[in-house]
Amino acid sequence: MAASVPRKICQTFANIKTGVVLLILVVILSAAGTLILQRPVTDPDEIERAYSPQVLHLLDGLGLTDVFHAWWFVLLLSLVSLSIIAASVQRFPNAWRFFARPYKSPDKTFRKALPNQKLISINNEDEEAAVSVAERILQKAGFRPERIVREKSFSLFGERNRFSEMAVYIVHASLLLVFLGSNIDALLGWRGFVTLTRGQQSSEVKPQNGSPRHLPFAVRCDGAGQENYADGTPKRWWSDLAIIKDGQVVLRKQIVVNDPLIYAGVRFYQASYGKTGKIDKLVLTATPRDGHAHQEIAIGLDETIPLDSDTRVRLAEFIPDYVVSDGQVYARSNELENPAAHLVVESRKSGQTINVWLPPIPGFEQNASSPYAFEGKDVQMAYFTGLEVSHEPGQWSVWAGVVLMGIGLAVVFYFVHTRVWVVPERDARGQLQLWIGGTANKNKDAFEQRFRDLVEKIESELKISVEAGAEASAAVLTGR
Amino acid sequence: MARARVEEQPVATGATLVVAVGLGVTFLLFIAFLNVVKSGNLLTDSNLLYAALIFYSGAGTLYLGFGITGTPAYIRFASLATWAGLIANTGAVAHRWYEAGHPPFASIYEMLLMFVWTLAVLTLIAEQKFKVKVIGTVTMPLAIVGVVLMQLLRTDVRPLVPALQSTWLHVHVTLAMLAYAACALSFALAMMFLIQDRMKTETFLAATSLFSAATYVGVLTRFEKWGGLSVAAWNPEEKSEAFLSKGVRLFVVIPDLGWMLLLVLAAVAAPLVLYVVWRKTQDQGLLDMANRVVFLSILLQVLALVFFVLRARDGHYASLDADGLFPTTLAASPFILSGLVGAIFVSLLYLLLLWRREDLERMLPSADELDRITYKTIAIAFPLLTLMIAAGAYWANRTWGSYWSWDPKETWAAITWLVYAGYLHMRISRGWRGRRAAYFAILGFGVVMFTFFGVTYLLPGLHAYA
Repeated sequence: MAASVPRKICQTFANIKTGVVLLILVVILSAAGTLILQRPVTDPDEIERAYSPQVLHLLDGLGLTDVFHAWWFVLLLSLVSLSIIAASVQRFPNAWRFFARPYKSPDKTFRKALPNQKLISINNEDEEAAVSVAERILQKAGFRPERIVREKSFSLFGERNRFSEMAVYIVHASLLLVFLGSNIDALLGWRGFVTLTRGQQSSEVKPQNGSPRHLPFAVRCDGAGQENYADGTPKRWWSDLAIIKDGQVVLRKQIVVNDPLIYAGVRFYQASYGKTGKIDKLVLTATPRDGHAHQEIAIGLDETIPLDSDTRVRLAEFIPDYVVSDGQVYARSNELENPAAHLVVESRKSGQTINVWLPPIPGFEQNASSPYAFEGKDVQMAYFTGLEVSHEPGQWSVWAGVVLMGIGLAVVFYFVHTRVWVVPERDARGQLQLWIGGTANKNKDAFEQRFRDLVEKIESELKISVEAGAEASAAVLTGR
Repeated sequence: MARARVEEQPVATGATLVVAVGLGVTFLLFIAFLNVVKSGNLLTDSNLLYAALIFYSGAGTLYLGFGITGTPAYIRFASLATWAGLIANTGAVAHRWYEAGHPPFASIYEMLLMFVWTLAVLTLIAEQKFKVKVIGTVTMPLAIVGVVLMQLLRTDVRPLVPALQSTWLHVHVTLAMLAYAACALSFALAMMFLIQDRMKTETFLAATSLFSAATYVGVLTRFEKWGGLSVAAWNPEEKSEAFLSKGVRLFVVIPDLGWMLLLVLAAVAAPLVLYVVWRKTQDQGLLDMANRVVFLSILLQVLALVFFVLRARDGHYASLDADGLFPTTLAASPFILSGLVGAIFVSLLYLLLLWRREDLERMLPSADELDRITYKTIAIAFPLLTLMIAAGAYWANRTWGSYWSWDPKETWAAITWLVYAGYLHMRISRGWRGRRAAYFAILGFGVVMFTFFGVTYLLPGLHAYA
């Protein structure tokens, strides 16, 4: 009794009814997952606006706000996999027997039940000649007939596309491969985000939630940009990336949307591009008050540049869109609308510092006391490139499954296993007859027509060969 | 030939309708030509599409005429008109392709263009190869609705955003269109099977009434107080819906339209009620009454459609959420429009069945044959669906770094796939044939339509462009 319990479970899973019930459950739950707002993709504010607190509490409790990652959904998919495995295991031995040991010499009952069959009477007594005619025609039709030798006589068995009997197992196996791959990814894979500006490098990937992940190598951005269509919509985003391992650049690639960089199973995708609101370089002319020639400098944030042996300048602040309110300078946006730069001019000898504001903001600037007059020439803003980073070790299993499924489905639907038997026999009066029978595992109406054509051809060939044979024997007789 | 004509004479040669449709097509083409001469721009995709619309309408009328009278001459001219429409449609596709510089798969407008094209091709194949002649009665009106919908959608060629610049997109969309068109065909064949399978006309009556009533209930979810119907506000310059704030659409209320649609809802639901009572009492008079109500409801539905079109086209209405008058156009409510048109079309098909059932049964292939062809079209659609999903997953993997993210469109594509997988298992393993298989095929197409249109308009997600 105890041994039969696992057996019973296996049988329940193998039952097609169980499979269909599971599939219906998957359909209902995934439909629910598209109708109810889902947690990780929707803003928390938006969800709170859409549902009342009680409803939201209930939905969260049931896991319905994140259906596709809920434990019960994963369990359901595992049950579907189990059902596929159980069904295949249960049916496979029979199918394999059918496949491995083709039924070559049909017995009386089988022959009687076959829907496509025909008896052809043969006038000539030459059994071998008649079967040979059928053999030749089957060969021509691609059935590759083989002779099945019995004690006294032999019959023919020919078939096409026997492999199509096994294709359905290939399709089911391929589905399991896809599931396997996605499970590997769910367990071992990860996704995250890296934001870089030009020249910056990082080996830290920030996932959507949780602590950052450290890579055993770093990625550096050597440049990034955007190209636009004439109407201003973005046409192309690109980033020049370099992978740095142990201080060495091991790989360089320009990535664009649709064309990622792959290193050690980690993929870097171009995901976004935009302004950081920070400055890359501010180009200035510095003219000394004492009448010497002016010089042009390009200065980055917090960078210090010497102007002469005593004086040096530092870019302390840069505000792309400033506004003064309540005696404070604020940034209004990250757009380069109304920029302000805060320079600090230092004298090494006296240790004196002077705040220079461009443009001069009253109450903050001490521009007049600076030994240099500055004039802004150009502002080069820093852009960031947003990289989606993912590691999906299971994806090869998924793609293998997909390819296999394509092949399997093509075979399942478009390759028909057809079999033909030719058996010589004698009727009640001892007259020699050729019994021809055939069957197809699908597309039976098309096979019916094909079978009729085949029989017709054999019949007419037999007639010709009989006549030719008769003439030959007549010639022999008269020749004597 | 002459003898054949003599024999046919009592049946009517059908010359009147052919001539009428011919004159109509010529007249409309002439009017269109005058407009084209005025604008001096002959070969644009909207002109070609307009020509296709005219030819498809002619073909649809003739197919319907064939459905009603069974006159063989109609079919010849109907095929001819379909061919002409297909040529114009192909021209529109080619022009669009040339103008955009990429195959026309990037927006819902372009997808509809391809869908209608595929539908016309499949109609001709089904007619000429499988000899299913009346199929045009179902597919041509679908094509007409498609072309009309296209007139409402934004047509400007927009440059491809970076994510869409991929060969895999074209593979994905081509496969999707082929698969969906094959599903549409299997749906039409399954319906024909039900007719041949001697499903009772009353059952079709109930189904028709249920479908129309559900459509009107769906539309009336936007019923506002004072009997108005709220529709999305529309910005004609940008050809897009107006937003109150991020993610919140602005709705305007068309007065009185709600009352009107409520009345029509009562009319389309009445046959269902009468049917239910008939099931209880078996009083034949109730069914006769129900059929008369269907006829009446069609008149009311047409009236409601005209009313809606007149009111919603370029009107300015008040909104409940903001002060002032806001414009709306037909394009703002593609769902309401296609729902109203679809319900009229389904009711007309029911009338065709009611009046000409015997002729239809004579002209259609046998039930067994239809059952087999339905299965064959699904056997074509299913591998295409599989490859479509695979190509989409591969493309997503190259673009977003994830082959599957449970986006609504992806999820619904998977649901479609599962439904057809269920069909195949029930048919192959459990030997489901005939009626149950036909119901399954109809259900499958319903899911396909939801995946194609419903998800795009109702559910948000990554798959925003189509």
